[in-house]
Amino acid sequence: MHPINWIIVVVYITYVMVDGIRRAKGTKEIEGYFLANRSLPWWAVGLSVMATQLSAVTMIGTTGQGATDGLRFVQFYFGLPLAMVILGVTLVPFLHGAGVFTAYEYLERRFDAKTRSLTSFLFLMSRGMAAGTIIAAPGVVFSAIFGWDLLWSVALIGVPTVIYTMLGGVQAVTWADVKQMVLIVAALVAVVIVLLVQLPVTPDDALAIAGSTGRLQVFDFSFDINETYTFWSGLIGGTFLMLSYFGTDQSQVQRYLTARSVDEARSSLLMSAYWKIPLQALVLLVGVLVFVFYLFQAPPLLYNPAHETSVRTAEPSAYAEMESRYGSAFDAREAAARAVADARASGDESAAASAMSVFVAREAEVTEIRGEALTLAEQVTGESSRDVNYIIPRFVLDWLPIGLGGIFIAAVMAAAMSSIAAELNSLSTATVIDFYRRWFRPEASDAHYLRVSKLATLFWGVFACVVATFAATLGSLIEVVNRFGSFFYGSILGVFILGMIPGARAVGGFFGLLVGMGTVAAVNFGAPSVSFLWHNVIGAVTVVVVGLTLSLGTRAAR
Amino acid sequence: MDRRDAPPDARQRFRRTLVRVLTIQVIALALLWLLQTRYAG
Repeated sequence: MHPINWIIVVVYITYVMVDGIRRAKGTKEIEGYFLANRSLPWWAVGLSVMATQLSAVTMIGTTGQGATDGLRFVQFYFGLPLAMVILGVTLVPFLHGAGVFTAYEYLERRFDAKTRSLTSFLFLMSRGMAAGTIIAAPGVVFSAIFGWDLLWSVALIGVPTVIYTMLGGVQAVTWADVKQMVLIVAALVAVVIVLLVQLPVTPDDALAIAGSTGRLQVFDFSFDINETYTFWSGLIGGTFLMLSYFGTDQSQVQRYLTARSVDEARSSLLMSAYWKIPLQALVLLVGVLVFVFYLFQAPPLLYNPAHETSVRTAEPSAYAEMESRYGSAFDAREAAARAVADARASGDESAAASAMSVFVAREAEVTEIRGEALTLAEQVTGESSRDVNYIIPRFVLDWLPIGLGGIFIAAVMAAAMSSIAAELNSLSTATVIDFYRRWFRPEASDAHYLRVSKLATLFWGVFACVVATFAATLGSLIEVVNRFGSFFYGSILGVFILGMIPGARAVGGFFGLLVGMGTVAAVNFGAPSVSFLWHNVIGAVTVVVVGLTLSLGTRAAR
Repeated sequence: MDRRDAPPDARQRFRRTLVRVLTIQVIALALLWLLQTRYAG
């Protein structure tokens, strides 16, 4: 990368870190450290909510997904606005009004200590690992692109984040998120503008060419529970997932508990409701335009440079032969794409349709050769190629003007840092409030809790960095934990819903949660083709039904 | 605190925001639908 780009990245990291440390000065007690004394304006909290959800995976993985798969992933977010509105009416007033530090604290007031401890423990386990994978995802890409050891990539992202989160608490996290969100959106808009300027065809032709390959097919109205992204899974399953995530996950709940009032907390969530779908469509559109860009500029056969080197070394003749075929197929596809633009410009609809079908056939040939290369890469390296994650970083470094490349890489780091910071801050909160203060030192001074909170943040930061550094070797373990996490997401939502039903009792909450998790696990292993978005619906409904039945049963027995 | 306890102006403000959110979503979905019908049809 050009030195100017590196300067931009270093200046940005230094600025975020120094600003975070500066904000530590006003924090003297845990209410300030974890909840900013409930003093933050709604717009800052809203941007923090959005920044937390937008991770580096969104910047490099989702944009890559846009390039290969198009816009249909946006359906995943169709339930989000509805979920935000429901939360604004239900859980937000409950949690903000209860004056709690953690969402799980509310469960003890409503049910009992064991329900609180179990849900908080599940949060710590899954989010502790998730924090590691959030660092690992961009870390692995950076180490492949820049040729670094993974340890250095992890350190570059993890160390500054741990420092400003540990010293500055939620104030530092939130205000860093505000800057990071601005940087991320600015970088995405700048990339779209650069792409539109650099394309040799009009935006209308670019969209028509992308559309002919199905990349602008947004809506899938089929009611197929095995299909991950459909209108219905996004709207129904997505609503339950977003309710779980924004309503019961401490990393999100803690964002809006810092707001000045219930109204401001609601408004902060509604900011996501306004902007999430347009923003996600923009992220995917970047990928679609990069796909069109690479119709006119020869793309690498493999975007992952580390895999490209490995394959070239292990199978030189096979790879050279593939590259030769790929080059010819690319030339034919480029000519077909230009023919589409020319035919559309002439206004001859039948010529345009015929040129379009030729282009689609040429595109299929290119895709087939790339498929062969990906298979070869997997055979040679013995690992999943995940080539899609390298499309955007390669484009950024090879084609963006000097300066803008640095801004985009800084934006990827910002996305990673904002998500990790929120995770670390919430992990520390749950550790100290739900376990340390609840079970070990209930009567200690605020200064003591503040010291322990900083140490807990440091512990989780180091834990996340270690998990990220060994991401490759811990791959199967992380997958197990993530899969386990998906078992209880909907079930925890079910416990919170149960908490809002007047007749529900503690026994229903605790055992309903266990049955809900067991049911989702059974569905996962018994019918693995059921899309994971439906797991949240199954878990939540099971907990409510079982919890209410047990509650009514125990009341009748008395 | 319960929704029923919210002051009338807060409720009214929330309703207004709700209408705005839903309007923006309808516009966003309509634009995506137009994009699909124009280019992916």
